[in-house]
Amino acid sequence: MNKYILNGVYSILALVMVSAFAFKVFQPIQVLPRMQLAPAYSLLDQDNQPFTSEDTRGQFVIYTFTYTNCTAPCFNINETLHEVQSRLSEVQLDGIPVSFVTVSIDPDRDTPQALQAYANSIGADTNVWTFATTTNKTLLKTIIGSGFETYYEEKGDGSFAFDPAFVLVDGWGIVRSEYRYSTEVSNADRILRHLGVLADEVRNSKGTTKLAYEAAHLFLCYAP
Amino acid sequence: MKTKHLFIVLILLLGLALGVYFLRPKPLHGTVIQSPEPSYNFTLTGVNGEVSLSDFRGKIVLIYFGYTFCPDICPATLGNVTTALRQIGSKADDIQLIMISVDPERDTPEKLANYVAHFHPSFIGITGTKEEVDTVASLYGIFYQIKPGSAATDYLIDHTATLMAIDRDGYLKLVFPFGVTPDEIADDLKYMLRQ
Repeated sequence: MNKYILNGVYSILALVMVSAFAFKVFQPIQVLPRMQLAPAYSLLDQDNQPFTSEDTRGQFVIYTFTYTNCTAPCFNINETLHEVQSRLSEVQLDGIPVSFVTVSIDPDRDTPQALQAYANSIGADTNVWTFATTTNKTLLKTIIGSGFETYYEEKGDGSFAFDPAFVLVDGWGIVRSEYRYSTEVSNADRILRHLGVLADEVRNSKGTTKLAYEAAHLFLCYAP
Repeated sequence: MKTKHLFIVLILLLGLALGVYFLRPKPLHGTVIQSPEPSYNFTLTGVNGEVSLSDFRGKIVLIYFGYTFCPDICPATLGNVTTALRQIGSKADDIQLIMISVDPERDTPEKLANYVAHFHPSFIGITGTKEEVDTVASLYGIFYQIKPGSAATDYLIDHTATLMAIDRDGYLKLVFPFGVTPDEIADDLKYMLRQ
C-alpha cells in the first residue's frame, strides 16, 4: 500500500515538473518583465507647459532621448517613432492610448520654442508626441541617467554622446522593455510586438487567467 | 487488479490537484517587480542621524513617501501598515517602514519622528534637502507637487501614494497602490517573510 502511495506521489511530482517545464518551453503565454519603476519627473514641454510623469498614467509610453541639434540622421530615432505611430492599427490595443515622449538632453538650447520648431520640422503630432526637458541639469541627469539608465554626455563642441535608446513604460509607470541596439528585427517591429503583448496582458490578466500570467512572469516567459 | 489501477489513478489525480494548488503562483495584491538591480541606496536624515536603505539589509523595508501635514492618504496608509504589522505578530520585527518626507521645508527630523511614532514605535521618518528628496522621489517613481491649502495648512502636497516593499537583499519586489487593505499588506508581507 505504502509503495503505491509513494509511486503516486512520485508520479504527481514528475507530472507537475513536466507541466512546469512544458509551460516554460512552449510558453503558451508571453509577457514583458516588470523591470523597474520609471522615474517620476516634472518637465516643461514644447508649449511651455508643465509635463509630468502623472500625465502619462494609464498609457503605454515610448521614451526617447535626444537633442534637436543632433545632425541627421541621428540614429533614426524619429523615423522609428513615426513608423510605430503609423502602424499602431496593426496592434489590438483595446483603446489603451500610446504616447511618445522625447526628452531633450540639451536644455540650454532646447527651449520650449526650439522644441516646438523641432516638432514641426519632423511632422510630429504633439497631441500624442511630447517634447520636453528641464533646465535643472542635475535632475535631468538623475531622470535620464539613473532613472531610465540611459547614458548621455555633453562634448566640448556642442554635440552630445548619447545612447539612442527607446524605453517602453506601461500605464502603471513600470519599465517593461528597452531597445538599445539594432537587431535583425527592426526596433519598430519589436516595439509594436511588445505593445501587443502588453495589451494582451492588460486585457486577459483578470480572474483565474491572472494566475496564468503570473506563472508566465514566474517562469520568465518573456516575449523576444 | 482493476481496483488497484483505479486506486493509483485516483491517487494521481488527487496528487495533481494538490500539486497545482500548492505550487500555483501566489496571487499577490501588490504589483511584482522583477528588477535585476538593487533599489537606489539613498542616504537621508532621521532624528538619530543619517539613514541609508542599506542599513536595513536583511530586513524587508517598506518605503512610503508622505508628509506630516498630509490630511488623508498618509495617515490612512501608515495606519493600514500598522494594522498589518500587528497581524503579522513577532515576525514583524523583520520589517522596517521608512517614511520619506516630500515636504523638507516643514518636516524636520524631530517632527517626523514624533509623527511616525503615533503609528508604530519602529517606524522611521527621514528627510533631506529638496534636491536630495527630489532625487530619491524621482528614482522611486514618486511625483509630488505643492498646491494651495487652507489657512491652517498653508500649502498641501499632491504626491504618488504607492507603498513599496524591498526585499532582504535590497531589491524592490512589490508596489502597493493606495487603498490596499491591512489584510492584503499582511498577506503579501507574510509571503515575503517566507522567501
